[in-house]
Amino acid sequence: MSDASLRPGEIVLRDATRSFSIRADQARTFKGLLLGARAQGPPPVPALRGVSLHIEPGETVGMVGRNGAGKTSTLRVLAGIVPLQSGEASSAGRMVSLLELGSGFSRDFSGRENIYLQGALYGFTKPQIDGRIERIIAFSELGDFIEVPVKTYSSGMFLRLGFSIAAFLDADVLLIDEILAVGDEAFQRKCLRRISEQIAGGTTVVLVSHDARAIERVCERVVVLDAGRVVFDGPTAEGLLHYHRLMGTEHGGGESIRSGGARDIVVADVELRDGAGRAGTVFHTGSPMHIAVVLRTRTAVPRPELALEINAADGSRVYSTTTEIQAAPQTTTRLVFEVPSLALLGGDYDVSLAAGDRGVDAAIDRTVRFSVAAEPGAEGIVDLRGSWRTLEPARVAP
Amino acid sequence: MLSYRYLFSQLVRRELRQKYKGSALGVLWYLVNPLVLMGAYTLMFGFVLNVEGASRPDPYPIFLMIGIVVWTFFQQSLLSAAPSLIEQGGLVRKARFPREVIPGSAVMVQLITFAAVLVLLIPIAVALCGTLTWALLLLPVLVALFFAFTLGCALVVAVLHAHFRDIAPIVAAALLPWFFVTPIFFVATKLPPVESHPFLGTLLDWVNPVAPFMLAIRSVLFYGRAPELGQVVYAVVAAGVALTIGRAVFARMEGELAVIV
Repeated sequence: MSDASLRPGEIVLRDATRSFSIRADQARTFKGLLLGARAQGPPPVPALRGVSLHIEPGETVGMVGRNGAGKTSTLRVLAGIVPLQSGEASSAGRMVSLLELGSGFSRDFSGRENIYLQGALYGFTKPQIDGRIERIIAFSELGDFIEVPVKTYSSGMFLRLGFSIAAFLDADVLLIDEILAVGDEAFQRKCLRRISEQIAGGTTVVLVSHDARAIERVCERVVVLDAGRVVFDGPTAEGLLHYHRLMGTEHGGGESIRSGGARDIVVADVELRDGAGRAGTVFHTGSPMHIAVVLRTRTAVPRPELALEINAADGSRVYSTTTEIQAAPQTTTRLVFEVPSLALLGGDYDVSLAAGDRGVDAAIDRTVRFSVAAEPGAEGIVDLRGSWRTLEPARVAP
Repeated sequence: MLSYRYLFSQLVRRELRQKYKGSALGVLWYLVNPLVLMGAYTLMFGFVLNVEGASRPDPYPIFLMIGIVVWTFFQQSLLSAAPSLIEQGGLVRKARFPREVIPGSAVMVQLITFAAVLVLLIPIAVALCGTLTWALLLLPVLVALFFAFTLGCALVVAVLHAHFRDIAPIVAAALLPWFFVTPIFFVATKLPPVESHPFLGTLLDWVNPVAPFMLAIRSVLFYGRAPELGQVVYAVVAAGVALTIGRAVFARMEGELAVIV
């Protein structure tokens, strides 16, 4: 599996195929073998179907896909802990993986002792671990908890310990599976910064995440897996778009099924559309976005209003506006809020709509999430559309 | 495999600590256990079930003790190795390393116990049996060969149990009659049935793979004689065969471990 002809940090998967049986009672018995008992249950699940990938040393690759698409299986195959049924997997260099959060820890032993155990798992010797342990403990910010048995740790603490260990073991390849979300924001940012340090040092990183922002910040390349096959392999921005489309978050909103019967006026349906009128939930900075709304009025409302609010993923308000509208009783009105050029930058947002009488606090009727594809060059919420201009010829310093 | 020596020593140390952590006697329990067994068996087979006409070697407690200690190493190695891969399943799922290290460390823990008891037993045996001879130098060799043999068996049991979860109880059940058939309490050739049917003696002393090891060790410690050449040859061959087969079976069946443990 470890191939001498590859450079450290290089990964090659050729037609990798692997299925798993998912019988509820996995354990076979010798008695069953002797009696020729038949395996019962559903057929094996194909986790990887002819996956081929070539990752160069130092590349940063994100893997996205639905749950069950084969991302974790790919990582386990790359880590060498699950063999393939056909095809080949080879890699060179030290692979450090962060797969299951709490696994590989001896529960009765302290964090410090577990650091030694994990280092040993990767083939390090005691002096080698001694040289790193202070950095590991400092990074984890666990303080006195490092001396306490890990069976008392929360999942956030396991992440701190596990990541700190993995981050300082001179990995040539870092395999990280969907676990960063367990940490608080500050630690997540710290993890990402440490990962970028390792990338600068030439470590190959394969990151599996459902958090498009983390993938976008770390990875230059994205592989989209669907039902065990690679459906996209290329630059991150495009890949994430493909992923969103695949997830069916393509058509967001749709008609509300909540009973709005008691309300006099209510937003019944919301659809986000691009400039050509096609429904979707992923947009680009600078392109048009239309918010199509269906209003239902039951009885006459004296001063009908429609409130629209856009919030960022952390809940902060990006934009809100309230408009008077015309609404006759017993009618269905269709309106669209047209944004000619979206000034939002890459990220996840949601748009909320509420309809009601002016002066009466209306509850939000509908909320629809959408994303703006992240693109390099600017980060944050708003694209100010400014540009630099040199004021005078640059002077040579005397 | 050698680059993982630190992992091996870590696992051994953990196992030792975990087993006797919190128990009142701590590490001393290693020694008390066999002593208690010896006392109980001496009482049973030395006095209570004293069979007339069956000549017992003298001093019987030492005779027993040697047999018990040798057998305990073998039995406990198999019983602790069997579930070891499942118990350390977290490690198996975490990283790629030579998984033989796990059952190997279980057997090593037993070897340490065995060695600790031997260190105490040797002076006593030598004193009571007058067996301070050159033959004693063979003892470490015999122990090492027995370790290799046991390790081979442990590898097979461990990997089989990971695939078939009733292997551990099957092994535990098989060890019981195996215990009584092994010449721990008796000298095969002196048993009344054997005197009339000598082939039974051959059966008891040679078909049971543990018997030659036990007889050889006892020969050195109890009788102060070098073991028979046949026993030594048997020991070398058995150790080699067991270890080879054990490693081969383990290598063959370890692929899916991360999936099934």
